[in-house]
Amino acid sequence: MMRVWMMPWVVVAIPFIGAAFTPLLWTSLYRMKSLVLSAVAVTLLAVTGLSWALNEPFDGMPFMWLLPLAAFFSLLGQPLHQDNRAAWLMTLILLGSGLGILTAQGPIRHILLAALLGVLCWLIYRHQVYHRQNGVRADVWRGLGSYAVGLASAVLALVLPASLSSVANLIVCATLLPLFPLHSGFIAVLTGLPGNLPAFLVLLLPALGFHSLLLLLPNLTVTILHTAALLALAGASYGSLRALIQPRALPRLSYGGLAFFSVLWWYVADTTTAPSQAVVYLSAVGLAMSGLLLAWYSLRARYGDIDARAFGGLVYSMPRFSTLLVLLALAALGMPPFGVFSGFMGMLLNPAFTPSGSFAVIMIVWFCASWYFMDWVQELVFGRPRSDIRHEDLRRTEWASLFMLLLLLLVLGTAPSRLFQAGAVTPPASVASQSVTWTR
Amino acid sequence: MAFLVLVALLPLLTAFIVMTGDRADQEQNAKAGALPVIAAFFGSVVALVLVSLNGPISVRLYDPDAVSNLAFPIGFYIDRLSAVMMVLITGVTTLIYRYSTGYMYQDRGFRRYLGILALTTSVLLCMVSSANLVMLFVFWQMLSYLLFLLAHNHGHPATLAGAVNTFTLLRVSDVGFLAGIILAYSLYGTFEFQTLFIRAAENPVTLALWPALGWEMNGVTAVTLLIFIGAMGKSAQFPIHTWLPRSLYAPTPIHALLHAGIINAGGFLLNRLAPLYGQSSTTLHVVFIIGMFTAILGATMMLTQNDIKKTLGFSTIGQMGYMIMECGLGAFSLAVFHLIAHGLFKATVFLNCGNVIHKARQEPSFPQIDRETEAGKLSNLTWSTGFVTTLLLPLVILLVTHGVLHIPLLESQGTVIFLFFIWVTSAQAILSLTRIRAVASWKVSAAMLSTLLLVVFTYLFAVESFTHFLYPDPAEVASYFKAAALPGRLFDILVACTTLLIVLSWFYLYAHAHGRIFHIPASIESLLAHLYVLFMNRLYIDLLYLKMGRMVLLIAHRLEKRMS
Repeated sequence: MMRVWMMPWVVVAIPFIGAAFTPLLWTSLYRMKSLVLSAVAVTLLAVTGLSWALNEPFDGMPFMWLLPLAAFFSLLGQPLHQDNRAAWLMTLILLGSGLGILTAQGPIRHILLAALLGVLCWLIYRHQVYHRQNGVRADVWRGLGSYAVGLASAVLALVLPASLSSVANLIVCATLLPLFPLHSGFIAVLTGLPGNLPAFLVLLLPALGFHSLLLLLPNLTVTILHTAALLALAGASYGSLRALIQPRALPRLSYGGLAFFSVLWWYVADTTTAPSQAVVYLSAVGLAMSGLLLAWYSLRARYGDIDARAFGGLVYSMPRFSTLLVLLALAALGMPPFGVFSGFMGMLLNPAFTPSGSFAVIMIVWFCASWYFMDWVQELVFGRPRSDIRHEDLRRTEWASLFMLLLLLLVLGTAPSRLFQAGAVTPPASVASQSVTWTR
Repeated sequence: MAFLVLVALLPLLTAFIVMTGDRADQEQNAKAGALPVIAAFFGSVVALVLVSLNGPISVRLYDPDAVSNLAFPIGFYIDRLSAVMMVLITGVTTLIYRYSTGYMYQDRGFRRYLGILALTTSVLLCMVSSANLVMLFVFWQMLSYLLFLLAHNHGHPATLAGAVNTFTLLRVSDVGFLAGIILAYSLYGTFEFQTLFIRAAENPVTLALWPALGWEMNGVTAVTLLIFIGAMGKSAQFPIHTWLPRSLYAPTPIHALLHAGIINAGGFLLNRLAPLYGQSSTTLHVVFIIGMFTAILGATMMLTQNDIKKTLGFSTIGQMGYMIMECGLGAFSLAVFHLIAHGLFKATVFLNCGNVIHKARQEPSFPQIDRETEAGKLSNLTWSTGFVTTLLLPLVILLVTHGVLHIPLLESQGTVIFLFFIWVTSAQAILSLTRIRAVASWKVSAAMLSTLLLVVFTYLFAVESFTHFLYPDPAEVASYFKAAALPGRLFDILVACTTLLIVLSWFYLYAHAHGRIFHIPASIESLLAHLYVLFMNRLYIDLLYLKMGRMVLLIAHRLEKRMS
């Protein structure tokens, strides 16, 4: 009989076992993809078993569910192409690492975090530096530098005294759940990695960063939290402004993601709480971004990495794609009944939240999302059609992956948020005091 | 009676019938789809009757005490206001749907259009029967997007640009509304309408806007002002009105729905929250000023447009300003009455204007200008009747009201407002009748008298009855007027200015018709010409927004350049 403490490690082991077998099927793309999908599905079943076996769910349980789901959806629609093999393999490794970080405690967690950041550095280097013939963009170096700082902080957190260790851990959190000015790694990963990796990492990294932040929250001082809130406001504004002017889809989505995740940073730092609605918000933003990235990659698989303005009017030539893209964009910009709206509303309606001056900035950021997402979608779906391009609508697996993502966003938006209670944190007494801006 | 909430969901059935099925059967599907819409109309009428007799219907699928744990606090609350709105919405939709099946059957997007029309109707019905502020906001936002889809005409770039502009501006107002809800919940811990009104009245809150400078604001004022931004967007109030004229390339049935139903959302919102607005005089004054500006600007811009749809569009903006101004004066029920009357009138005009445009395209000489009519003889009877009905009779009514009936006009701004609206409306209608010259003068005189009688009847009996129907407690109505009361001197000045304007208009029209020429200095002539150009170009507000948008993008580009 398996002991309860061993069960999380069995769950973590499944993706790694799957990853170990993939090289055996390297030459058969179909079989390899089936194996990877099966490994993810088995992981999902194992997580179900784990939640059933454990009487009390542990922190991060909602993410234990969502990560395999996101991995599955991101893999499902991938075309059978040899360039995608490495991405599939890396998905399993990253999924295993992510689940390990969520379940592990103490030094093992730190080691896994350092390993994950190391893998990310290697991925950025391999795909954006090593193979580049025409020089490397400055933001790639900045991304690499950002994760290198995160890696060093994760290692230092193991050896430094408690007070400094919490700062080092906060830096690790800031590289994973993007916080200005350590957001460059997040941008580099989303704009430069191949295959389904950006669509998976856009949920995985913030989820891990958020989980680490929850564990760290009771140890952070008011000054640190105030600083983080200010940086988050700067990041949200910066992300929105840059998203507005990006002609290419990937940077636009990446900076949009930065703005939305900065809102979460601001909320946690401002209220010193992370209610279940924050988990809904993070999951929904991650999934919506993942959906948009997948949708864009399905176009990229057909026409290559071209400017979004180069073609449009897909509403008649690719109706299934257009419908799903519009709905995903609506979900991403925070329209009901999807999860981003529910999470955001839920967070702001939490008793811990008190509207203040910074709330006005967040509202402007919220509005800007309507601007840059709609502008992009409008051009793509309703823009001037190109008659010289032969269009092919979504294939069944592509459609299924986007549709299921949308369905999940709908569930997140309509399900009672107490289902995500396991990830919630009540305000710690040491930092719960908050100046009230009105007098009754 | 809980089954009546299903009325709001019936149009969804229409959307399903129309959108599914074979394209070859679209005509049959469209006919079948009319049945749920008609059923929704009759259901709304039944709801109105039942609500009038038995009181409000309330269905809540959530626990109001633990509402923050639910993403969607789904609940329906149908009171008299909701029921009236439901009848208006379903009635107008039934007519528009029937008209559209004939008008648009050859259109490529026929099914899509009918489907979205039905979906919009359902969202509107859910919105007006929402049990709480969050549900109302959810459907409010959905309406913003549906409006964007309705204003779409895929093959026409100007329409597409207008649709994006519509969505962006409506999102600005949505953000204001959202901030208002968050603040309301933060201050009073509820978004249940009745509880919110009670808590706001019992717990006066003062917000410190800038503690160092001692800037403070009443909590209710802050909440109502933010929510009013939401109402401004949907009801096209200055300066968020620019989306309405830009969306005018869409098919005419869409405009009928937009101008008769969707745009009234602002008036409905203010009425739904009337007890909250009644607690803040400052907000009501702001509402009055915004409404007044919009009414004046809308009407002025309407006069300078050379396109039938734009003329009608600006006319709607002016009327919406008028409606919002009524709310700002505390006459909430008058605003609902106004929006119903305007909705029915504008729907008819828009449905007709499509045919007029088609006819004008086929016959270049259409519409014909009958010059002989304009050169007709002036009649003393017409002018005398006009003089009596617009200037003498109102004065008699005023004296009778004050002297014989002992209604204290000097203390009651509400009564003065009602009397004044009677006078302004009848004067406006009667003055326009003086243009009719080829018709027998006794007929014109009779029309003038009938107009006055109709307006007096409408205001004194129909509106009063309607006010009593919507707000049965006279003390509540009086409290709104009291809250909205303007400073005495300002009110007097406004009344005096409007009186002067009507009297001067009379004399100008009379003198002009008798061939008198007024000497206008060249500088004023030049100013008038400049003003004409300014209003014809809609005060260049579209351009201003465009420049502001470009400035934001320029800042972003500079930031990017500096960061990379």
